[in-house]
Amino acid sequence: MKRTLIALLAGTLTLSAQGPVPRPAPELKIVETSGKSAMLSSYRGRVVLLAFISTQCGHCQRASLVFEQLSHEFGGRLQVAEVAFDEAADPAAFAKRFGLTFPVGASSSDAAHAFLGVAPGARLGTPQVVAIDRTGVIRAQSERLGTPLLQTLDYLRDLLNAMFRLEAKR
Amino acid sequence: MIDHALVISPAAALLFHLKQGFWLYAWPMMIGFLTILGYQSLGRVTMMGTAKWLTVFGLASVVSMVSLFGWMAMVRRVEMIPFYGCGVGLASAMMSRIYAVTMPIHRRLKIRVIRVTWRGDTKGIEQLQQALRARAAAGVEAAVAKV
Repeated sequence: MKRTLIALLAGTLTLSAQGPVPRPAPELKIVETSGKSAMLSSYRGRVVLLAFISTQCGHCQRASLVFEQLSHEFGGRLQVAEVAFDEAADPAAFAKRFGLTFPVGASSSDAAHAFLGVAPGARLGTPQVVAIDRTGVIRAQSERLGTPLLQTLDYLRDLLNAMFRLEAKR
Repeated sequence: MIDHALVISPAAALLFHLKQGFWLYAWPMMIGFLTILGYQSLGRVTMMGTAKWLTVFGLASVVSMVSLFGWMAMVRRVEMIPFYGCGVGLASAMMSRIYAVTMPIHRRLKIRVIRVTWRGDTKGIEQLQQALRARAAAGVEAAVAKV
């Protein structure tokens, strides 16, 4: 009985765990529908705002518009990218529908879980927003079930400015 | 999860949490409160039997629209249900302390205004009962005069 309880607890903790922050961002291949692909490491030297989305999710659609505005505000200093990991996602149609000018690719659910440091199969709240600094270190990441604060324009603007300030200090 | 080395102004986060708190907790409570307040007031105004049908019709329409709009706008999360219940409970408790809701004509403005008589207001209750008795007596006298 005791062993079963411990095993259950350990299983629950493993499923709810996620990668700590700060930590080096793992490599990720972003494949667009056109076949064009980019490695996450190729964005090094710029701050990256990466979001794992589900193209059917309303929060992701609203957040994408926020990311689009931020990509214009910060210009060349910021690279925004989105990765759709829902089944039958059509990233090109999604980008066209919402007028997104940044890369929107697709990946498997397992790849998204691995990048976020979450156990495979664990439930994820979307969008999962990740902010990576110029050196490739993850400085902010959504909680496993989602962080609405990381989808708001004002807070993300403050967060990105704080990341630039931190780098300027170093 | 945010790196603690980042210095971020708390203003944006505070505003976000205030807005979220309002929509998640205060809004359902307000809707629950307004719904019960509206329906109970409507019931009492209707029960007086002196209000014009147009007043009752207008009041009933507005109250039902307010409650339906509230439900449509608030049904988002299960967590909102207890707060809606709290609003309903507060309004019901408040209405149980009300003796009557009347709509007398304002002396100066010459328009009907909503007047609440509380159960603790013995003087107000007595005045209301006197007015009702006088009206009933006047009605009887008029009926007798017709005969």
